[in-house]
Amino acid sequence: MDIYVQLLVNSLQIGAVYVLFSLGLTLIFGVMRIVNFAHGEFFSLAALLIAVAVPWLVDFGAPLPLAYGLAFVGGLCGVMILGRILYEFAFRRFQRDMIGSFVLSVGLALLMQGLFIEIFTGASRKLPTLIDGTVRILGGALTTQRLVLCVIALLVAVAMYWAIASTRLGKALRAVSEDHEAAMLQGIPYRRIAMTGFLLGTLLAAVAGALLAPVVVIGPVIGSAYLIKGFIAVVIGGLGSIPGAIIGSILIAVIESVGGYYFDPSLATIAMFVIVMVVLLVRPAGIMGNG
Amino acid sequence: MMRNFRNALLVAIGALAFGAAPGANAQETLKLGISAPMSGAAAVWGLGMEWISKQAAQSINDAGGVKVGGKTYKFEVVAYDNKYNAAEGTKVAQTLLNRDDCRYIIGGIGTAPVQAMQSLSERKGAIMFTTAWGMSIKGPKFPLTFTQINTPYEVIPPLYSYIKKHNPSIKTVAILNPNDATGKETEAVSRKIWESIGVKVLSSDWYERGTTEFQSIAAKMVGQKPDVIDLGVAPPGDSGVIFKEYKVLGWNGVKVVPAGTSAESMMKIGGDAVEGVYMGLSADFDGAQATPVQRKLNVGMKAAVGEPINVIQIGGYDAVMALKAAMEAANSVEPKAIAAVLPNIVFDTSYGKTAFGGKDSYGSAQHMLVPAIVSQVKGGKLVELERLIPEELTKRLAAAKK
Repeated sequence: MDIYVQLLVNSLQIGAVYVLFSLGLTLIFGVMRIVNFAHGEFFSLAALLIAVAVPWLVDFGAPLPLAYGLAFVGGLCGVMILGRILYEFAFRRFQRDMIGSFVLSVGLALLMQGLFIEIFTGASRKLPTLIDGTVRILGGALTTQRLVLCVIALLVAVAMYWAIASTRLGKALRAVSEDHEAAMLQGIPYRRIAMTGFLLGTLLAAVAGALLAPVVVIGPVIGSAYLIKGFIAVVIGGLGSIPGAIIGSILIAVIESVGGYYFDPSLATIAMFVIVMVVLLVRPAGIMGNG
Repeated sequence: MMRNFRNALLVAIGALAFGAAPGANAQETLKLGISAPMSGAAAVWGLGMEWISKQAAQSINDAGGVKVGGKTYKFEVVAYDNKYNAAEGTKVAQTLLNRDDCRYIIGGIGTAPVQAMQSLSERKGAIMFTTAWGMSIKGPKFPLTFTQINTPYEVIPPLYSYIKKHNPSIKTVAILNPNDATGKETEAVSRKIWESIGVKVLSSDWYERGTTEFQSIAAKMVGQKPDVIDLGVAPPGDSGVIFKEYKVLGWNGVKVVPAGTSAESMMKIGGDAVEGVYMGLSADFDGAQATPVQRKLNVGMKAAVGEPINVIQIGGYDAVMALKAAMEAANSVEPKAIAAVLPNIVFDTSYGKTAFGGKDSYGSAQHMLVPAIVSQVKGGKLVELERLIPEELTKRLAAAKK
C-alpha cells in the first residue's frame, strides 16, 4: 500500500459524499438565503427508504440490481414529496430570513429525526453489496462501489456546474442569488425559481443518501453526521457558491483523511472547526463566496 | 326523589373511593427503567434489552407478580434512548428518576450515560443494574449500583489468553476504541493484559461514536502491520464496517472484539471480512450450553428484533429476576433494603442459579457472577469456544446447598 496514494484515494471517496451533500446546501442558501439544518434529514430519508425497499423487493423476487433501481427512484420521489411539502408549508414563509429559517429548520430536523426513529426504528440497517470487489488505483485500494460513487459524484458536480453556468434555469438561479429584486424586475419569476432551487437542493441531498445507502450502515440519524461536515464545507467554500462547495468538500475530506492518519480522527475534526473559525474571521464570505 | 338521587350518588362516590383505596388484594405497579442506545450503531443492544426485560416482567406478572409485605406488585418496563452519550444520558436520567419517579433501573448501557444516571440515582436512592464497562462504576462509594454482565476484568483475561494459546506467533497488536468513558476504561485493561502475555501494543487509537467513514483510521492501523487488531468496545455496527475497510486494504491478521456481542449484526455488515473474529460477549444461545430459558428467549428475540440474543441484552432479563428475588428476600420494595440483600442471596437467572460477588476486585459484592464466554465467527456462524464458570460462583452455589 503506497500510503500517499491511499490517502488521496481516501480523500476522494470521502469527499465525493461531502460534495453531493454540500452542493444542495449551498444551492438552497444561494437562492433563498436560508440555512437549512433539515437538509440532513432529506439525506437520511432517501437512505432509509432504500434500506426498507430493497429487501422487500428482493423478497418479492426482484433481482438485486432491479430492486436497487426501483428503490433508488422510489427514494428520490419520496424525498421530493417531503421537500415540496416542507417548502410549501414552512420554508416558503421564511425566505431571506436567516434567523427564522434557522429556528424553523432546526425544529424540523428534530421533528423528522423523531419520526424516522418511530417509523423506521433506531436499528442500523445494511444493504447487500450491489457491486462486489476492490479496485487498486496506482497502489491505492477502494471498493468498486465506492469508485462508482466517486464517478457519479463527479458527474453530478460537473452537471450542476454546467447547468448553473449555461442553462436558462441556471442563469435565473444565479440572478436571484445575486439580487432577487433586480431579477424580479427583469421578469424572472422569483417564487417559482426559489421553489425550483429548493427542490434541486433537496434532490441533491436525496441522491447523496441514495448513493451512499449501499456502502454504509444506515440509521435514522445518519444525516446529522454529514450535515455538520456539509456546513463546514460550504462555510469554507462560500455560502451560495457551487465551486466553493466543491472546494470546501474536498478540503475537509483531505483534512479528515490526512489528519486521521497522521494524528487522530478527533484532532482532524477539531482542525476543521479551527479552519472554519479562521475563515470566518479572515474572509467571512468563504474562499469563493461573494459576501 | 331528590333524596333517593342524593343517596344513590353518595353510595356511588363511596364505592369509587373504596375501590380506589389500596386494599390487601390491590396491585401496585412498579416501574423498571432502562437507559440504553436505541438508535445508531449500538441500537441492537438497547432494543433487545427492552424486549427481553419486558419478557421477564411479563413472566413474573403472569405468575402472580411479586409478593412483598402482604401486597402484590406488578412490573412495568419503560425504556428511553440515551444515544450512548452523556448529554442524552442525563436527559434520560431526569426523565426516569424525576418525571417517571422510577426507583429501579434494570438496564443502563454505556459508561458515560450510566455515570450521568448514577450521579442522580445514588442521591435519590434508586437501585441501578448496568452493563457499563468501567471499574469506577461500582464499589463501596456506589452502594446502589450493580453490574449485570461481565466487564473487561472478567472478559479480557480469558479471551486474550485463549487467543494467544491458539495463535502463538502473534507479537503485536493495534487497538481502536470509541473515544468515551467506556473506551478509555477498556483500553487501559486491554493494554495491560496484552503486554502481560507478551504481545506488544503498537498503537492505541480513538474514534468518535457516530463516525461513518473509517478509511483513514483503517489505513493508519494497517500501515503498522500488526498481527492483531483489537476493536475494544466498538459496537457491532461499527465493527463490521471497520473490518471491511481492513479487508479492502489487504490486511488479514487476528481480529478481536472484546465487547463483541451481536455476531449476526457484524456478519450482515462486514460479510466475509469478519470471518475469524474472536468475541468476548457473544454466546450461542441456541447451542448445547444454552439453558432452556435462553433458547426460548432466543426464538422470541429473533422474531421480535430480527437477531439472536447477545450477552448485553440478556443482562436485562437477569436483572429483573435478581430484583424480584431480592424484593422477596428483603420483604421490601425499598431500593436500599434490596441492595443490602442482593450480595447475600442466590437467585435464578437465564443462566441458572447465580449470585452477586466480586468483593475482592471491586471492594463490594456488586458484580453478577455469570460465565465468561469466548466465541469466534467460523464459517459464517458464531461458535462458542469456551465457557468459564467463575470460581466464586461455584463456591457460593456449593455453600448455598449446604
